[in-house]
Amino acid sequence: MSAWFGLAASPEAFPPAMMAALSLALLAPPLLGVVAMRFPPRHPAPVVAVALPAITLWLLTAVAAHGGHHAPVSLGALDLQLRLDALSALLLLLTQLLMLASAAYAVGHRQAARIPRRAAAWLWPLLGGLTTSLALIWLAADLLTLYAALELMGLCAVAMMLLPGQADALAAGMRYLLFALVGSLAWLLGVALLLGAWGRLDLAGLSATVEPGPVTWIAVALLSAGLLLKAAIFPLHAWLAPVHGSAWPPVSAIHGALVVKASFFILLQLWLLLIPGQVAGAWVLGGLGSAAVLWGGLLAWRARGLKQVVAFSTVGQLGYLLLAFPLLIGTSEAVAALAWQGTWLQLAGHALAKAAMFMAAGNLLLATGHGGLAELAGTSRRLPLALMTFGIAAVTLMGLPPSAGFTAKWLLLQAALLAGQWPWVLVLALGSLLTAAYVFRVFRYTFVEEAPRHDFRQLPVGMDLIALLLALTALGLGLAADWPLAMLRPGGGEP
Amino acid sequence: MSAFVPLVHAGLLVGLALVCLVDRRLARACLAFIGFALMMALAWWHLGAPWLGLAEALFGALFTGLALLHALGTWSREPGPPSHDHFLRRRRQVPIRLLVAVAWAILVAMGVGLLLGTGVVELLAEGRRRPLLPAGLAIMTLGAWAFATHTHLLRRLLAFNLLGSGIFLLLAGLAGARAEVQALILVGLVVAWLGTLLGAVLIRRLHALESRVTLVAEDEPGGGE
Amino acid sequence: MTSLLFAAGLWLALLWPLALALRVPVRAALASPGHSRRLLDGLWCTAPLPALGLAMLAPPGQLVLEWWMLGGVWELDGLRRPLLAFTALLWGLAGFHARGYLAPEQARLEAGDGSAGGRLQRFALLWPLTLAGNLLLIVAEDIASFYLGFAVMTFAAYGLVVHAGTRDARVGGLAYLVMAVLGEGLILAGLLWAAGSAGTLTLGGLREAIAAAQQGVWMAVLLWLGFGVKAGVAGLHLWLPLAHPVAPTPASAVLSGAMVKAGLVGWLGSLPLGDPGAGEAFARLGRVMLVAGLLAALGAALYGVCQRHPKAVLAYSSVSQMGMITALVAMGLIAPMAWPAISAAVVLFAAHHGLTKGALFLGVSIGEHPPRVPAWLLWSLLALPALSLAGALGSGLATKWAFKSPLYESGHSGVVAWLSLAAVGTTALMARALWRQWQSGVQARRDGLIPLAGPMPLAWLGMLLAAGTLPWWLPLGRPAWPPVDELPGLLWPVALGVGLAVAAAWAARRWPWHLHGRLPPGDLWWPLAAAWWGCRGRVQGPMAWLGETRAVLVACLVEGERRWKGRLVAVSRAEGWLRRHAAVLMMVIAIVLAMTMWGTA
Repeated sequence: MSAWFGLAASPEAFPPAMMAALSLALLAPPLLGVVAMRFPPRHPAPVVAVALPAITLWLLTAVAAHGGHHAPVSLGALDLQLRLDALSALLLLLTQLLMLASAAYAVGHRQAARIPRRAAAWLWPLLGGLTTSLALIWLAADLLTLYAALELMGLCAVAMMLLPGQADALAAGMRYLLFALVGSLAWLLGVALLLGAWGRLDLAGLSATVEPGPVTWIAVALLSAGLLLKAAIFPLHAWLAPVHGSAWPPVSAIHGALVVKASFFILLQLWLLLIPGQVAGAWVLGGLGSAAVLWGGLLAWRARGLKQVVAFSTVGQLGYLLLAFPLLIGTSEAVAALAWQGTWLQLAGHALAKAAMFMAAGNLLLATGHGGLAELAGTSRRLPLALMTFGIAAVTLMGLPPSAGFTAKWLLLQAALLAGQWPWVLVLALGSLLTAAYVFRVFRYTFVEEAPRHDFRQLPVGMDLIALLLALTALGLGLAADWPLAMLRPGGGEP
Repeated sequence: MSAFVPLVHAGLLVGLALVCLVDRRLARACLAFIGFALMMALAWWHLGAPWLGLAEALFGALFTGLALLHALGTWSREPGPPSHDHFLRRRRQVPIRLLVAVAWAILVAMGVGLLLGTGVVELLAEGRRRPLLPAGLAIMTLGAWAFATHTHLLRRLLAFNLLGSGIFLLLAGLAGARAEVQALILVGLVVAWLGTLLGAVLIRRLHALESRVTLVAEDEPGGGE
Repeated sequence: MTSLLFAAGLWLALLWPLALALRVPVRAALASPGHSRRLLDGLWCTAPLPALGLAMLAPPGQLVLEWWMLGGVWELDGLRRPLLAFTALLWGLAGFHARGYLAPEQARLEAGDGSAGGRLQRFALLWPLTLAGNLLLIVAEDIASFYLGFAVMTFAAYGLVVHAGTRDARVGGLAYLVMAVLGEGLILAGLLWAAGSAGTLTLGGLREAIAAAQQGVWMAVLLWLGFGVKAGVAGLHLWLPLAHPVAPTPASAVLSGAMVKAGLVGWLGSLPLGDPGAGEAFARLGRVMLVAGLLAALGAALYGVCQRHPKAVLAYSSVSQMGMITALVAMGLIAPMAWPAISAAVVLFAAHHGLTKGALFLGVSIGEHPPRVPAWLLWSLLALPALSLAGALGSGLATKWAFKSPLYESGHSGVVAWLSLAAVGTTALMARALWRQWQSGVQARRDGLIPLAGPMPLAWLGMLLAAGTLPWWLPLGRPAWPPVDELPGLLWPVALGVGLAVAAAWAARRWPWHLHGRLPPGDLWWPLAAAWWGCRGRVQGPMAWLGETRAVLVACLVEGERRWKGRLVAVSRAEGWLRRHAAVLMMVIAIVLAMTMWGTA
């Protein structure tokens, strides 16, 4: 399994050009963030001009052509490990694209929502820090780096959520802060046991030396619990919806799209590397995921606010990702290959669609000035673009063709059928139905014409366009899914 | 003598942690935490990690202590939150939470015990490390219990800090004072300080805006987080 | 190396219009509010230039894209190159013309008229998008790309038709959309049926599959009718005379000149033309097509001369010309042996009609905004493309000879006679169009003249030049010119047409018939629409009952949802419980996970 994550038995140094590109990808965002804090951009153009995705695209093509790299990076007496394979490069690209989209959106949002300059300026360094921590999580190949990155990500995410400064935002943020910190401590406890038992922190070495046994199981159980809390997986998801209720849309977009998934990524990586034969545990996680799909769908269906609908839909959609555990662990090569591709496609498709959805919801809220679903009456005529974006993003979430969500769910379905794991088929079907139910509920409110309001606020077109672009990308990812999937074929990055 | 000093040290640590978590007078609990953090610094120094000890004294005792006192409004002209925690959890919730915390502690203890049983850690060879494990386990359990039970936000912050310290002690007790361990603990210390600082600012703001010191909403009587 | 260049050129040709389309929203997003820029700038006009360069310079070639949808094959062969060349040129000149034509709207935008800005932005976005679809469908050899291009072109063009936003424009748009959806449905059915039954993904494979399949002729019927909507086959042409007069003139020019030809491209790509093994059923279909084509060619001419609006007259002329092309395509099924010669004539005909009709449409707007030239010169220039379309001059003459000689050689002189009769009609139509233009042009001259060097007159002159010199530059091989002794045989329809037109004009002046009041543009559309509304009224009774049932059903559902939601209150209470106990639950999950793993080991 360690080859799936681009881990080599004997790491060798990165080529200099690649190292330079990676350093740039890691160091540039916080620096740019600090610059932007001092000189906040008034226009999306300078934000969009940041060419980091181009560099990552180059890295991606290099990795796709010559295979992944796994290299040690010495920091004094510490021996850290980084790896760059097709998967981590794709995730890095996704992160940077979403960050830029969210930053560009934030520029318009600040002006439209008339946010005070000082509060808005803090967003930029936090976005930069979040980008770096996410990049580190995709790249890191040892538990120490992962711990540092996880903590940085948690703090940046919490701080971003607090920026609106209203009481409900502060209360929700406080809860998030406490749970994020305690989740990391549970993770650290697991790491302590692993370090005590096997004496090392690098993932490649651990995956080679760790033997299944009670100590390993207890360690993995502890750190899984912490990560599940941070990833907002049912039943530990309850902090998520209040946090999104009052956060700014660009922040919600990044959080729902990427932050919760970073914890999932670490979790999957550790399970596959440390306890690849633990079928029963994987089924427990699959069960939690199924419960999340249904629970999130139900709550989204009866949520009162538009942002609550989107937040609970995140809870449900994260559940699909957890189906990767029973489908990848203890199954045949063919099943695992299908589930592997389906999982990452679901992650990417959902990230794009959810970011688009949060932005579209933010536009609707800003334009109507209220957060309730009932306030959407009459928007179908007045704000067609925002609603269309919402609808296109929902197509991906529902898993209708030709979206990425459809391809991903199709792959997962095939894997479940091939493995004979029928319960997940049912979960996939029910989840899609529930998604359709809550999406159409939102649309039903928008078509109500009984008390049409006429005081919708005009928003800059750019805000709608960014969201639309993301939603269309999610849709287009389904059409061009072959390109990333070819790279994600297990061992596909290998020469 | 050489075996006795660490034992007293460990006992002091657990005692201070207990005071810090049980005392309902918040100023005293915070002071107990500062003392506890200084004891931790001493423990790192004993373990042969003087720089880590210094970092603990700086981040754990000084900065975190300052943040906690700021949350209490010690230096502010505006009135801070009340200095006494008088929230009570529903009676039937208390034993369940204690039970879960104990089960969690037993789970961790089983892990540690099995580790010792396999002989991977030559614990007996290093007398200085031996008392760290039970002390860490005890402090972690206390922290977990307190975090699950308390509702006052400042006390939850304290509980989180103690939970973290207990885990640091376990980590050092299991793996020694190696570079990786020191790095992990250092990251943990900085994060705990930043988290506490953020939490302290939040407590002040929440109190100023809505004069509340817990996350319990009004429509959830006696629920508590 | 050449293949790389070819691929790069092909990509550039397709992506450049898309990039220019994308530029519109990007500029709108980046523009600071209150500051408007020129939307149809010089760069915008360059959209079809890469495609034109490719068609004129590139050698025949093929580009295979395995990752593209179901596997893409884009090709440039002997028939596609001239099609691409004239299409790109027509789009380019019409786009240049649009710069001048829409300049008043730009001025209104700068004066702060928001609705004009929105319309102009839509036009600037959809024009290159429609172009991209048109180019893609010409070069596509795989079915998926072809259909994608066709659909993009069809639906993006809707926005061009309804540009003005008036009531007439909405009616025209409705007719366009209804017929387009009908056509898309037929095409999709035909493509899926044929491609699915033969398991082929390319148009070449499709043609063979249709020729060989048992039900092949029905697939061919579906495709013929589906593409026939676009090409204006008799009965399916309803949208042409309704959409053309209301669309902005440059859009009318590309609709009539280039997009209508997409139907022809579809026929050439999907029907088993010139396949001797196709069988008797296909020959029968060919005869039906021939009759339908000649019917359209003559009927549209008769109906068209009664129209008032010059653009409606021109639209009927397009129907008539496309009827002639339909008849020629039908010969590919009736006389497969003669097809190679006829196919070249069909493409030449398409290019000739496209550019000439483009020149005529642009001439309409030139007639409305006459440039600073003497009236006699202007009117002789306006008459030139009309004469060419009637077959008396330049490319028209060459085209006529190009299809006449193979038809004579294969012994179908009857068809030639009918086509000559249609040419009489064309001449009459041209005379009618010029006459209507003359009547409105006199008033326009009094209103004021525009400078000759503006984009509108320059684009029109360019189109005149391109249409007149078509046989010399179109990459289709040198066409043969008719020998001098054949000229009377070719020119008599023009003379007869002119004579009839003069006689009819005289007669109309003596006894005014006011036919145009009784024969509105869109012919069959109006009775059909009336029948539709009548039917709706007739079934309103049962529908009302259905509506009541539906209301009851909806009420039941709403009630059910409400009751369900009442039950779901428990769910939200549980959510609150989960929120308060998250820390404890985390510990419980750790314990459960560890116990599960341990217990099953």
